[in-house]
Amino acid sequence: MRKVALVAGGMATWGIRPATWSDLVQEAGTALFSSVPNLEAKDVDSLFVGAAQPERLAFQSHVAPMAAELLGIRPTRFIRRVELACASGQSAIHDAYAAIAAGLSDVAVVLGVEKMNLPSMAEATTSMANVLDRAWDGVHGGTAPPFFAMVAQRHMQEYGTTPEQMAAVSMKNHRFANTNPTAQFYSKTFTLEKLLGSPFVSPPLRLGDCSSMTDGSAAVLLVGEELARKYTDTPAWIAATSQYSDFHNLANMPSLTHWVGLEKAAQDLYRRGRTSPSNVQVAEVHDCFTISEIIEYEELGFCAKGKGGAFAADGQGDLGGKVVVNPRGGLLGCGHPLGATGVGQAVEVLHQFQSKVPEKRLVSGAREALTHNLSGSANAHTLTLYRREN
Amino acid sequence: MSAPSTPFLLDFFPQEDAKFTRVAPFFTHLREGRLTTTKCPADGSVHWPPRVSCPTCHRDQLTWIDLPKEGRIYAFSALYLGLPLGMEKEAGAVVGLVELGDTGLRIFSRIVGKKYEELKIGDPVRLDPFPLPDGRVFYRFMSKV
Repeated sequence: MRKVALVAGGMATWGIRPATWSDLVQEAGTALFSSVPNLEAKDVDSLFVGAAQPERLAFQSHVAPMAAELLGIRPTRFIRRVELACASGQSAIHDAYAAIAAGLSDVAVVLGVEKMNLPSMAEATTSMANVLDRAWDGVHGGTAPPFFAMVAQRHMQEYGTTPEQMAAVSMKNHRFANTNPTAQFYSKTFTLEKLLGSPFVSPPLRLGDCSSMTDGSAAVLLVGEELARKYTDTPAWIAATSQYSDFHNLANMPSLTHWVGLEKAAQDLYRRGRTSPSNVQVAEVHDCFTISEIIEYEELGFCAKGKGGAFAADGQGDLGGKVVVNPRGGLLGCGHPLGATGVGQAVEVLHQFQSKVPEKRLVSGAREALTHNLSGSANAHTLTLYRREN
Repeated sequence: MSAPSTPFLLDFFPQEDAKFTRVAPFFTHLREGRLTTTKCPADGSVHWPPRVSCPTCHRDQLTWIDLPKEGRIYAFSALYLGLPLGMEKEAGAVVGLVELGDTGLRIFSRIVGKKYEELKIGDPVRLDPFPLPDGRVFYRFMSKV
C-alpha cells in the first residue's frame, strides 16, 4: 500500500456566519489554495466532500459537483460526498486515504462543510433529531443533548463523575479556543462559575457542557508519498485508520457509559499503527459534550475506566499532562459544523507537526497524534493516527 | 385516518398504515393496549424496534410477541433547550430509557406524569399508548410514582 501524506490545510472562520453553504465552501478552498502555492486546481484528481445534511440544512443535494465548481476542480478520479453525521469530514479523509493508498488517486482535496444556523433554529434541530433512529428514538425528542445527558447521568451514578469535572473539560477547551482565531468562541472567555451556572439544555448537561450549532468549513490536501515534498517539508503521514459501529437504535447500545465500540476502534488503531496510547502526544477528540471527552479519555486508553473525570480535573488532558487533548479548542470551543469538524481536527494535527499554531497551544516536538469523531449516539467511531515521520 | 397535518419530511411519527409499512401490526397491537415486537423463532432473538427479517440470522419468518407493559427508568433527562419543530411548546418534557422487566430491552421513550426533578433512576413506569391528532397512535410511558 502506498503511503499517504496530509500536506496542507485551510480553515474558514467558524461561528454563526453571514454566509451560505456555497460561501463556506469557497472560504475553505481559498484558505487551502492560498496556504500551498505549489498547488494548482488542475493537479487535483479527486474531491471528497464531508457534509452531513446539506439536503435539510441547505436544501441542496448532489453537493460534490457543486463544491468542485466552486473550487475550480475538475476531478478525473473520484468525486463524491461522504456522509457519516458528525464524522462525515473524517470519513471523507479516510476515503481519500484509501484511494491514494490504492494508487487510484494521487492528489485529493477533502473539504468538510456544514451550514447549520438557519432562520429557524427549531427547523435546524429537527434535522439533528433524525440522526438517531427517527421513527423510534428521535420521535420522542431524542436529539444529542438528552442522549448525552443520560450518558452523563449514568457516568455520574456509576463512577462518581461530577459537574465540576465536566466543567474542567469545557474550561480547557474554551481556553484553547481563545488561541484559535477560526474558533466560534475565540473572543469569548468563560469562568467556572459561568459554566456551572449556565442554563440546563438537558440536565445534567448545561449550555457550558454542549458544543454549538455552527457554520464552518475546512479543507485539506492529501497526496501520495512521492508527491509529499512538493507541497511541504513537514507532512503528517497517515499511519492507521479505524472505524467501528455496533448499534443504531438506543435499545441496542451495549452500555451508556462503556463505549465498547470506541474501545475496539482504538485498539484496532493502535495495533494497526503499531503504537499504544502512551505514545500519543496530541489527541483531537469528539467533545460534542463534556462527558464525551471524559469517556473518550477512558476508551482511548489514556486513563482507567471510570477515571475520566479525575483525569480532566487533574489537567492530564492539558498542556503538561499525559496527552494534550483538543488543543484546537475542541468542538466546545470551535463549534461543531458537522461535516467540517473532522477536517478541522486534521488541519490542527498538521499545524501542530509544522509548529504553525500559537505557542499557547503548541505541543512542542509532537510526533504522533490521533483524531477521533463519534457520530450519532456514539454508535460509530472514526479514528485516524498521524505521524510526523514517515 | 385523516390526512397528516405535518409535511412528511418534518413528521417524526412513523407511518403506521399497512399501505406504508410492514410492521403495521405493531400499531394495531398498540391500539389494543399491547406493546409488541418481533421475535425470530429460529434463533430466539428479540428485536427492537420490530423488524421484517432477523438481523442475526436473516430469516424472514418472524413472530409477534408481547413485551411487558411495565418497566423501570434506567436513565432519563429532559428537553429544556433546542427542541425540534413541533415540540417547541413541550419544553421540560422528560425522556428516558425504560428497562422492560427481565427482557433486557431498554427502549427510549417520552415519560409523562412527573417532572424531571420528581423522578429518579429505578422509578416504575407503565405503558401509555396515546392518539395523535391525525388519528395515528404512538407509545410513551407514565410514571407510577
